[in-house]
Amino acid sequence: MAYPFVSDREVRVVSTHFGDPLQRRIDTYVERGGYGALKKAFGMGPTDVVDVVKSSGLRGRGGAGFPTGLKWSFMPKEQTKPHYLLCNADESEPGTFKDRELIRWDPHQLIEGCLIGAFAIRASHIYIYCRGEFFEANQVLARAVEDAYAKGYAGKNIMGSGNDIDITVHQGAGAYICGEETGLMNSLEGKRGQPRVKPPFPAAVGAFGMPSTINNVETLCAVPHIVSNGGEWYRQWGSEKSPGTKLFCVSGHVRKPGNYELPLGFPLSELIEDVCGGMRDGNALKAVIPGGSSVPIINAEEVARCNLDYEGCVAVGTMLGCASVIVMDDTTNIVKQVRRMVDFYAHESCGQCTPCREGSAWTAQIMRRIEDGKGTAADLDTLMEMTQEMVGTTICVLSDSVAAPVQSAIEKFRPDFMALIEANEPAGVAYHG
Amino acid sequence: MSDVPFKNPGWAGNTGEFDLTEDQVRGDDFVGERPKHGGHASGAGTMPYMLAGKNPEGPLFEGEYQERFEKILTRYPTKRAALLPTLALAQEIRGHVSPESMDRVAELLDLSPAYVRGVSTFYTMYNKRPVGRYLVQVCTNISCNLCGADEVVEAFLNYTDTELGRTSEDGNFTTIEAECLAACGYPTCVQINSRYYENVTPAEVPKIIEHLKAKGGD
Amino acid sequence: MAELVKLTIDGHEVSVPKGTTILEAAKQIDTLVPHYCYHPGLSSPAMCRLCLVEVEGAPKPLPSCVTTVTEGQVVKTQSEEALGHRKGVLEFYLVNHPLDCPICDMSGECDLQDYVHLEGRKHGRGIEPKRVFGRDDFGGDVLFYGDRCVMCTRCVRFMNEVEQDECLTVVERGNRSVIDTFFDEGLEGTHWHGNVVDICPVGALVSKDFLYKARAWDLDHTPSVCASCSQGCNVLLHTRDNLVHRVKPRENLDVNAWWMCDHGRLDYEWMNVGDRLEAPLVRGNEGTRTAKSWKDALADLLERASALDDKSVRAVASARASNEDLGALAELVGAFGGGETVFRSPRAEEEIVLKGFPTLARRTDLAPNVKGAGLLGMKRVGADDATGGLESVAGHSGIVVVLGDALADQPEDFGSKAGLYIYLGTHDSAAAQAAHVVLPITTHAEQEGTFTNHEGRVQRFWPALEAPGMARPAWLILGALDAELTGEAGPQTAAEAFAELSEAIPALGGLTYEDLGTRGAVAGTKGAVVGTQGAPAGAAAQAARG
Repeated sequence: MAYPFVSDREVRVVSTHFGDPLQRRIDTYVERGGYGALKKAFGMGPTDVVDVVKSSGLRGRGGAGFPTGLKWSFMPKEQTKPHYLLCNADESEPGTFKDRELIRWDPHQLIEGCLIGAFAIRASHIYIYCRGEFFEANQVLARAVEDAYAKGYAGKNIMGSGNDIDITVHQGAGAYICGEETGLMNSLEGKRGQPRVKPPFPAAVGAFGMPSTINNVETLCAVPHIVSNGGEWYRQWGSEKSPGTKLFCVSGHVRKPGNYELPLGFPLSELIEDVCGGMRDGNALKAVIPGGSSVPIINAEEVARCNLDYEGCVAVGTMLGCASVIVMDDTTNIVKQVRRMVDFYAHESCGQCTPCREGSAWTAQIMRRIEDGKGTAADLDTLMEMTQEMVGTTICVLSDSVAAPVQSAIEKFRPDFMALIEANEPAGVAYHG
Repeated sequence: MSDVPFKNPGWAGNTGEFDLTEDQVRGDDFVGERPKHGGHASGAGTMPYMLAGKNPEGPLFEGEYQERFEKILTRYPTKRAALLPTLALAQEIRGHVSPESMDRVAELLDLSPAYVRGVSTFYTMYNKRPVGRYLVQVCTNISCNLCGADEVVEAFLNYTDTELGRTSEDGNFTTIEAECLAACGYPTCVQINSRYYENVTPAEVPKIIEHLKAKGGD
Repeated sequence: MAELVKLTIDGHEVSVPKGTTILEAAKQIDTLVPHYCYHPGLSSPAMCRLCLVEVEGAPKPLPSCVTTVTEGQVVKTQSEEALGHRKGVLEFYLVNHPLDCPICDMSGECDLQDYVHLEGRKHGRGIEPKRVFGRDDFGGDVLFYGDRCVMCTRCVRFMNEVEQDECLTVVERGNRSVIDTFFDEGLEGTHWHGNVVDICPVGALVSKDFLYKARAWDLDHTPSVCASCSQGCNVLLHTRDNLVHRVKPRENLDVNAWWMCDHGRLDYEWMNVGDRLEAPLVRGNEGTRTAKSWKDALADLLERASALDDKSVRAVASARASNEDLGALAELVGAFGGGETVFRSPRAEEEIVLKGFPTLARRTDLAPNVKGAGLLGMKRVGADDATGGLESVAGHSGIVVVLGDALADQPEDFGSKAGLYIYLGTHDSAAAQAAHVVLPITTHAEQEGTFTNHEGRVQRFWPALEAPGMARPAWLILGALDAELTGEAGPQTAAEAFAELSEAIPALGGLTYEDLGTRGAVAGTKGAVVGTQGAPAGAAAQAARG
């Protein structure tokens, strides 16, 4: 069930038990069929598990949308050294709040998904890298893992299958960049969480230098359902290229913000108007960021044309990202909100790559000046040109994430910028030549 | 808005169409009391709490804390990997990560003190300086910001009579702005020590502060 | 031979061993792709993002420092796209850079200045207030100017990977990140930290010793060999106004790569010390010393020698003297009537090894030519602090020759029983007072010559300073005397002196200056392929800064 509001448009796969405190208890989980998929997977063997996930078309739910089964198939088939499965629970993309709900309402679903994933890639140890701020959710997860160990669903000889898989819940310490897969690996290893240069890719050289696969919480949560019901079953929802269901985290100026699980390809306008009860206070829609703060902003006209799957978002010039829909009404000061996002990236830039380290902070400075009414039209040109040099020039894509909101905002909401600039700029005199 | 149900038990976030108690939302009823020695080793690294009671001079890694530290070590193929949980442990005891703590952690994990400093300053959750009994972190990122997070920050600062990043005179409250806390559907989200206070409005702020003062402990 | 890969860089076809990076391959066509974080002696984090180049078929510009070549690859380092990206990245470097070039020690040899001049925007667009870190004393010889730093982390990686003492780190993150030490602790007590100043591409890390002493463009650079121990690190002496202002390592992968120790680096003031012996001094019968011309002094000396009955020689040499000097001394001892030559040299208690490049160490022998003296049959005497051991020389009644040993520990009556006491040195001393003839010689910084390092590698050095007054290289003086005694013409150049020596000493195997080049050769390897002068593309190359 969606939480905290429900809608009859939902299709519940991973969110079925949101809002049900009993689901955390291992006895309830098992009674409701839990760990059945794990047992089934053990019976199938790793290759078949990878195949069924491939056939489902499940794509990574962390933002990039990379096919999960394909990712698993990159792992070496022979285990000559330890393999690791890393679960990315370092949820910190502004606008995203699905993983915390998945962890706190249904921890065993995640644990089961992790175990199946580990089995599929022949990993002997699972690290669930939890965001440090999630003290409460982490305690729930840690307790659930303890229960799984106690009942023989983790550790040595799981369910008498002969499979040994350990689980460790690892807590981060406050760094957005650790949500980037190689940054996470560095952080897990006790280093500064700076992304690594690829190649080598994690399947060859990952955590602790060993073959590793990293999956998002929501991705792994979908896995038990796919293993239980088959790949075709999952494909009954969504589109050919983006099958299945997805949690949509809706925040901002809607009446009923929250998590809603919907088939991929769901129309964005219906999500806002129907599922979320429409705009707050009856205001008009101004803009939406459909995939977390790292993707381009779209305006009301684009919202009307946008279907929420990977391809549908690209069609209107943005990205699905992790499906974090931030809705803004016509009272919104776009310049301020974009500046706030850029501040975030400047704060979270790991500082390795020069375009990101210097560019994000510089962008924030210029944005702040414009917001304070001391900007010029030339600043907008500088912003457009300079942020363009932050795209594709760095190790990871945090830098690109600065450019996306800034460039899209200037393109689509230029009048908002000009209003602030013209209100204070003495006519005919540029602030800076 | 009247047709949209709003229930927020103990500031645990709007439960909307669900009837839930604070314990049920937070999972306290399920988790219960987790022991200081860390319980099962699989979760020993998640234990560091931000406690109201901090002892800046407290002994590091003794007794139960030593036990928890040793459990953490068993979970990783390298000693270095235990660095983040170990620093968190030091912070749980002392409230912040001082140069002395870094030095001690470096010694325990066979790392150089400079390396430990480099890592600990990379992460925002390690407090570089002592903070008040309650560290109030108000999310002001976009989703909360759209719904008035700036006013919530103001309210905390006004009601505790202090400035951003400073500790109130009674030593109770340090308020800072935080980046997205991943509770965007429950704006404004405020993390106070280890707890999330969700759907916080400026009007709620005095109540929260009085509640914490009355509670005294954690 | 490694497998070769053929690719095209800027329209030129290049063949390089498999595994070579684009940045190294581009050097084959004399193209330097600007870079900061890359250094051939360190790991490559690819974080400065300056070495971006366009590769056909790649969706994004690629960092040439970590992108290895592939067959048929088409690389454009100078295309509009590549230049555009580098121009953009350079602008980011200047956003917070203080542009304090007029007071920056690095000015004139700064990679930021050079690259911006070469490829940067002509006009800056940054008008925001700049970030300020200020200056920090890192301990040892190193000062840190945080505002100038480009965050390439070469210094951090040097300390971690090469010196393997992780006392530098990056603290904080994002644009607040800055290089720092562990609070008040610093680089003091480490032995190789001067290298972080060398590899810093900008003026962020500077030498306290060199601070404000000279502008880079006023300095002359002379290749030399460090005389501080027997490792024989290749160095450059940076001079101005006939003074050595600093010593920088000179790349030689067979000896010291790009590195040198702090002891050697700061051991140069002695080359500048005044109060030198500037003219030959001849002691008359009444005991007073008179300055004479070279011609007269040598004539006096030979006259006195010819009158002696006992022409046996006891000579004291120095392991700081060149092979040429020592060889000439050996010749002269033979020409006089034969005898024993001894030398004294200080010994450290232990080696200080550079862990990440373990063939480099501050050796226990704290003189550059101990091996050379040994090859010439000279006998080491005295204690580890280079005192004592000269009993057989001090009271010798024949000919006593002292070359380069200041005899600081010897009493005034040293050599007073000698029929002829010749002292060749740079400075006067109590024990030199008794000499019949005092001949002023040059230091290795003032002459051409060679040293033989601990492993037998013979390496050349060149004159960096003008010799004071009438001081001359010892090989020239001793050769002239030898010529007078034997009637055979003496060497007129250091090369001739070395060639003669090399023929006389089988261990040197007929090496010539030409064989030695700028990087030296191991004695006895003539004809063999020597060292890595053919230099593998991956490691070769970047000439030592300076």
